[in-house]
Formats: sequence, C-alpha cells, structure tokens
Amino acid sequence: MTTLTGSVAAGRRPTRWGMVAWYAVLLLVAALTVIPFLWLLSTSLKGPEDAVVAMPPELLPGHPTFENYVRVWERLPVWRFFLNSLIVATVTVVLNLFVSALAAYPLAKMRFPGRDAIFYLLLATLIVPAELTYIPGFLMAVQLFQYIDTLQSLILPGIFSAFNIFLLRQAFQTVPDELIDAARIDGAGEFRIWWQILLPTIRPTLATTAIFTAVGSWNSLLWPSLMLRTRELYTLPVGLNSLRGMFESDFRAVAAGAIMTVIPIMIFFIALQRQFVRGLTSGAVKG
Amino acid sequence: MRRSLTPYFFLTPALVMMAVFTLLPLLAVAGLSFTEYDVLRPPVFVGFDNYVDLLTEPDFWQALGHSVIYLIVTPTLIVLSIVLAIAVNRSLPGIGAFRALYYIPVVTGSVTVGIAWRWLFDTRGGLVNGALTWLGLNDFVSGLGFGNAPLNWLTAPEFTLPLAMSMTVWMGVGYYMVVFLAGLQSIPDDLYDAAVIDGCNGWQKHWHVSLPGLRPSIVFVAVISSLSALKVFDEIYVLTNASGGRLNSGVTIVFYLWEQAFRLQNVGYASAVALVLLVITLAFSIFNVRWLERGQEEAR
Repeated sequence: MTTLTGSVAAGRRPTRWGMVAWYAVLLLVAALTVIPFLWLLSTSLKGPEDAVVAMPPELLPGHPTFENYVRVWERLPVWRFFLNSLIVATVTVVLNLFVSALAAYPLAKMRFPGRDAIFYLLLATLIVPAELTYIPGFLMAVQLFQYIDTLQSLILPGIFSAFNIFLLRQAFQTVPDELIDAARIDGAGEFRIWWQILLPTIRPTLATTAIFTAVGSWNSLLWPSLMLRTRELYTLPVGLNSLRGMFESDFRAVAAGAIMTVIPIMIFFIALQRQFVRGLTSGAVKG
Repeated sequence: MRRSLTPYFFLTPALVMMAVFTLLPLLAVAGLSFTEYDVLRPPVFVGFDNYVDLLTEPDFWQALGHSVIYLIVTPTLIVLSIVLAIAVNRSLPGIGAFRALYYIPVVTGSVTVGIAWRWLFDTRGGLVNGALTWLGLNDFVSGLGFGNAPLNWLTAPEFTLPLAMSMTVWMGVGYYMVVFLAGLQSIPDDLYDAAVIDGCNGWQKHWHVSLPGLRPSIVFVAVISSLSALKVFDEIYVLTNASGGRLNSGVTIVFYLWEQAFRLQNVGYASAVALVLLVITLAFSIFNVRWLERGQEEAR
C-alpha cells in the first residue's frame, strides 16, 4: 500500500551523484508546482504603492498588506460561499454514500434475478458524460422540480454515482460470507447486517470514497454556475468566478480571493493526504 | 417473500436516482435533438434538421477538431507522470513531502488555477513574459513567428488551446503520478534484480521492466485522461473569461454545447451536439476496451 509519506519498497538508495540529480528533478517540479501559488500570494499581498503590472515583474510585495483580503471580504460574502460549499459537499457525500452503499451490498453479496442486468446497466451509465444530462437537467430544474437557484439543485443530481457503487461493491466482496451468515443465524435483519457489520468493516473504502466525492463536489463549476442566480447561494468556485467580474482590473483583489478560496481545500488535503492516496491505489488500478 | 424482495429494496434508491438523473435526461436529450426549442415556445418536431445543420456547420467541426487536438494532453500526461512516479519512487529523505506537494494542484480547483494562469501569462504583468525578458529571450521569442515579444498569450488565438492544455496537465499530473506510483510498487523487486544481472543500466531497467509492468496503469490513465480531455470545459471557461477565446480558438465540443444551449438557447440543436458527444464517447470507450483486452492477451 502506498502512502504519500510512507517509505518505498521498490526504490533503491542511489549513489551520491544520482541523489543530487534526482533532487534537482524533484526541486524543479516542486518549483513548477509552487510558483503559480506563490505568484498569486505575492500579488495578493501587494499594497497600492507596489507595482502589479511591471516589466520585469516585482516578485515580492514592497509594502505587504492584508488590505486586498479585507476589500474582498467586505464586498463579497465569502463566508457564505464557504458555508454553501460545505453544506453541498457534506450533504452530497452523506446521501451519495448512503445510496451507493445500499446498492452495493446486494450487488456484492446476494443472488437474485436481474442482478447482472442491473450491474451492466450501472456500468453503462459510467460512459454517459455528465455534460449530456445538463440540458434536460436544467429544464427539469426549472419546470419539474422547480429547484433552480437552490442548494438542493446541486445536491440531488450528485447523489447517484455508478463509480462509487463499484468501489463499495468491490470492498463488500472482500468481507467473508461467514461473517454475514453468522449474523443471519443470530437473527439479524439484512439492514442491520449492512449497517452494523458491513459498513464498519469497509470504513477505509468509505472514507476514501467520501473524500473524492467531496473534492469533486467542492470544485465543480459548470453545473453550479448554471443553477445559482442569487449571490448568497453561490458556492466558492462560482463566487470566485463572479469576483473576477467585480474586480475586473484589480489583480490584487482577485488574487486575494483566489488564495482565500484555496485555503480550506489545502487544509482538508493536508489533514487527509493518506486517505487520498489509499483511495487511488486500492480502487482504481487493480486491472 | 421477504428474502426475495430484499435486494431490490437495497437497490431502489440508487435505481430511482439513476432513472431520474441519468436515464430520463438521456431519453429527453435524444428526443429534444429532433426538435427546435428555445425554452420560451414549446418544442417543434423538425426531424433530422438539427443533425443536418450540425454536419454542415463549420463551427461544429472546428469545435470537434479542437477537442481532438486536446487529446495531446493524454500522451503528455502519461509520459510526465511516469517520469515523476519513477522520480518519487525511491527512498530519499523528504520524498513524502514532494509526493504530497505534487498532488496539491489536483485538489486546487479550476477557477483558482485559471486565475493563476491568467496572471502568469498576462502580457504586461505576467511572470512568464517577465522571465523571458529576464533571460534575454525576447529576440528569440519574436523570431518564432507568433508576433513580437512580449507575447499576448491570453488573446492570441494560437495560444488558447496550448494554455488550456498546460493547465490540464498541471492539474492532472499529480493524480496520474500516484496511479503510476502504485503500479511501480506492485512490480516485484526480483524483476529489477534479474534485469541488473542481465546487464541493464538504470534507464534500460525502467524500459524493460517498469514500462511493461505499468501496462495496466497506462491503459487506465489513457482511458480516464482521454475521456476527460474530450469533455474539457472548465479550463476554456476560466482562461477565456467564458468567451471561448478570440476567433473561437478555444471552443471545444462541450464548450460549444454549453454556448448553444445556455447562451444562445438553441436547445434542440445543442441536444444534437450532446448526442454526437455521446456517440464519440461510446466509440472511444469501445476502442479503449478493445485495446485493453488486446494488451491483456499479449501479456499472457
């Protein structure tokens, strides 16, 4: 199992010059990764006296200030954007995992007529691009559900995920049948078996599935910007996008907004980086 | 009786959601593609008119062409992330920090990255033109035929797609690196030892052992990254301020769909575009699966 921080089995300790060469590569890539963020950060801290447009560019703010952050904070309800994103991501994850895990149990552990047909139907929906459903999805949101410009409109279409059903089905398949049979003999109902025995045993898979679903929801842009009209309902990406229009030529403010919106996801990532990588390596590539 | 219905109880919520949010929209979009519909008036059946219009519309073919060009990101991502995976697959002090760092762009979100990109490539204040000036490369850049330095990266049509692709690669390489890292770590050490005994040096070792061992990961990455490249939208949207770029230079198939459906209210026509996208995706998936199967047979 790979973790971002764990040691490596396959890699050997290279020679001294080999080490220098590899560090050079690693540092170069690290620089390419960090520079866009640092450039935003530097711009966001520049005061009115510091040139934003200059050639050669001023790399560091001469008069660092948080003024730009304050300006964005005062003009835009950034806190609301954050809260909206948090609500949408959390509710989507909980409902998505509940529905997916429910469906995954019989697909992994029960025999019943139509199981293969249902399985292949789910498989087929993986191919359908989400973009395809946006036109009718939009019409449904306006006419049928009448939930355009609400947070529900972001949550409900995000509940079904064939991909998550597959990941959880795979995890359920590794649970020994004896465990389930024993519980059945003890008189437990199927729902109780699912809730009290199966779900706890696949907790790591649930965690990684939750994380990837959350990040996907947190960063999604196209659908939320189709649905949301009221500024107080904007999620962070939609809000940040609107900020670009508001502060058209005010690069300092736009940069400050970008930095502000990136902080929560950074904290989330740093706190959970082990789960991020476990999810990638356990589910995806067992081909 | 109870036992026999149980599996369906468990499946019902997922199947209902699938029906409402995937299957029903799929049928609806297929139906709409045979109508003329502007949301205000009820749809009018027009037969295959939308498809005829689409096939004779240069803008559609241009968008399709851009999406095909965009597939360049797939080989780029594969090569870069394999190199990166090999680089971080060794026990050097601090390697964990590098791996985590490389993953950060994956979770950052396209609006933030788009803002960073626009600001890096800004003509007068951007870091890229600044670096080119500082390195004394302006004469060289002016000689490339894209105009005189400093270059207008964001407005020159020939740069719209390359900039968007660079964004896709920058945001994706960390993700695929981890996929390849997992692939590398599943290759048994004995194979590398045997290669060394057979006289392989460092690079030959990776060529003869790592690459064949990574085959399933390569297929996985090829499938995932090419499907998402065909559907690229966010990068174009944020880089061109939702304009699609000068002379439509950044309009890809999904951007075209979005523009037709939600900006111009040509809902019927846009639905036909959506259906073409589905057919392309299907063809692509079938091709990829065949390729995967062939690879597995060869491996045996």
